[in-house]
Amino acid sequence: MSIEEWLWRFPSALMAWRNLGRNRARTALAALGIVIGVVAIASLGMAGASIQYSTNQELGGLANQVTITAGEDNPERALTESQVREIRSLVTDADVVPQKTGVTTIDAEGESDRVSVTGVTQASALYDTQVGEVPDQLRSGALVSASVADEFGLELGDPIEYGGQLYRIRGILEAQQGFGGGASVVLPVSALSEQEYYSTVTVVAEDGAAAEVVADRIETQVNGREEILSVTTLASVQESINSLTNTLNLALIGIGSISLVVAAVSILNVMLMSTIERRGEIGVLRAVGIRRGEVLRMILTEAGFLGVIGGVVGAVAALGVGLLLNQVLFNDPTLVFEWASMRYLLFGFVFAVVASLLSGLYPAWKAANERPVETLRG
Amino acid sequence: MAGTEARHVIELVDVLKRYQSGEETVDALKGVDFHADRGEMVTIIGPSGSGKSTMLNMIGLLDSPTSGTVRLEGKDVTEFSEDELTEERRNGIGFVFQDFHLLPMLTAVENVELPSMWDTSVDRHERAIDLLERVGLGNRLDHTPRQLSGGQQQRVAIARALVNEPDIVLADEPTGNLDQDTGRTILDELTRLKEEENIAIVCVTHDEQLMEYSDRVVNLVDGVIQE
Repeated sequence: MSIEEWLWRFPSALMAWRNLGRNRARTALAALGIVIGVVAIASLGMAGASIQYSTNQELGGLANQVTITAGEDNPERALTESQVREIRSLVTDADVVPQKTGVTTIDAEGESDRVSVTGVTQASALYDTQVGEVPDQLRSGALVSASVADEFGLELGDPIEYGGQLYRIRGILEAQQGFGGGASVVLPVSALSEQEYYSTVTVVAEDGAAAEVVADRIETQVNGREEILSVTTLASVQESINSLTNTLNLALIGIGSISLVVAAVSILNVMLMSTIERRGEIGVLRAVGIRRGEVLRMILTEAGFLGVIGGVVGAVAALGVGLLLNQVLFNDPTLVFEWASMRYLLFGFVFAVVASLLSGLYPAWKAANERPVETLRG
Repeated sequence: MAGTEARHVIELVDVLKRYQSGEETVDALKGVDFHADRGEMVTIIGPSGSGKSTMLNMIGLLDSPTSGTVRLEGKDVTEFSEDELTEERRNGIGFVFQDFHLLPMLTAVENVELPSMWDTSVDRHERAIDLLERVGLGNRLDHTPRQLSGGQQQRVAIARALVNEPDIVLADEPTGNLDQDTGRTILDELTRLKEEENIAIVCVTHDEQLMEYSDRVVNLVDGVIQE
């Protein structure tokens, strides 16, 4: 069944389709306006989504963490075993990773520098390596940061000295994303056994919201009037950054919408012109018994077709822009298929169709309500 | 004896049409009585400005009189709303125009089907083909108006006027844009179809030739019918 045969069942659609075909250049130009509008609105929306995505990437590794250190009123100025146990009992749905910290001196290739040392057992909860591997339980060996490895020319298998003992490097850490805080050298917690207490406990929760809940719980259960524990989380920082990027996104889409409104006005103009040109013809339709509502539907369908054509072409073009954008920014074009980006394509398309229909409303109403006797006289 | 009197297809009784243009009021029709019956062709003649077009608009239910009565098949349609009049036009009246007024983006057969296009209750496709064959365009069904001569276009328009099985066909200068010979064949077609379909035909014209085909001629001068 051809498109035409199918259209016959929808006379308004058939007539609208044929009418658009009469002046292809005008139809194409009117649709082009919509295409540009959709590309603008969807591309800007997707750019905003990318900004959001990349800030989340930057923060993402940290926002779900709660960092607990000794509070002002902590008599030990550190976290005791029993406090760690208390934290563990409060946090059942997330990893609790106690850490000790120290300092050591590395000598290599004539360089000598003091670096911070973190003692931790559950290293895999906190760190990823770019070379080598992080065991679930760090019992022997060492992990070093990429910058330390770089500075001292260290490779896998090289020894690191701490407290008179040598530890072989079994992994080099990925460059830490976001805000500092990365460890230089990670050793098993047993290496720092000369320290009785822990300096930090990190809780790794599911996401930022879960981290907030955990932080609140510890805050209220452990700290009474005294600040025994200092509990910090980046979730609130992320929240405010999110609201910032959301605002930015809205502004971008607002700018895009203006171009679509301009396109809608040009459709209004085109439809008005073409209905004025066809006054006589519409008069004939009315004379031979075509109802006002049918004329209205026919012209509204024309405007709707312009919106759909422009919307589809625009969405496809915007998809191309999105693929390119994500390729350039994140080296991963498929990110555009995430709902966060895709919804702007849908939004652009729907906006295009709705704006076109609204633009068609006045010309359609005007044409349908002209008295045939006047239009026939021309 | 109203009961036995033959019912007219269309009837104007004491129709007055007044136009207001600025300060001036113009009476285009000044109390016109008119009727047409099935199987007859009535021609309205008169100088330009005599009110012919206004009268045709009244008969075609395209306009309502200022006073007087319009009856279609005995039904008083004077007070009908625009939507009701549209319905009556669709079902009861066919139009043939001087400029043919076919839609350029539709084929001949589609143009003929146009009046019933939105009507899902009937399929006029077969009748449209039949009518085009009867006016000698059986081999031009899928031609667009641009591919047809003036005479052929007018024959498509006549088929369009008849597609909904009307009671009356109104023709406004049907031969006005055609040469003498073509005009004659068009009038032959109209006369033949008038018999076959048993309809009334009302023409408005300057064309002397058309009067030969008419059963009755009505002379309109200055909004008044001259006997």
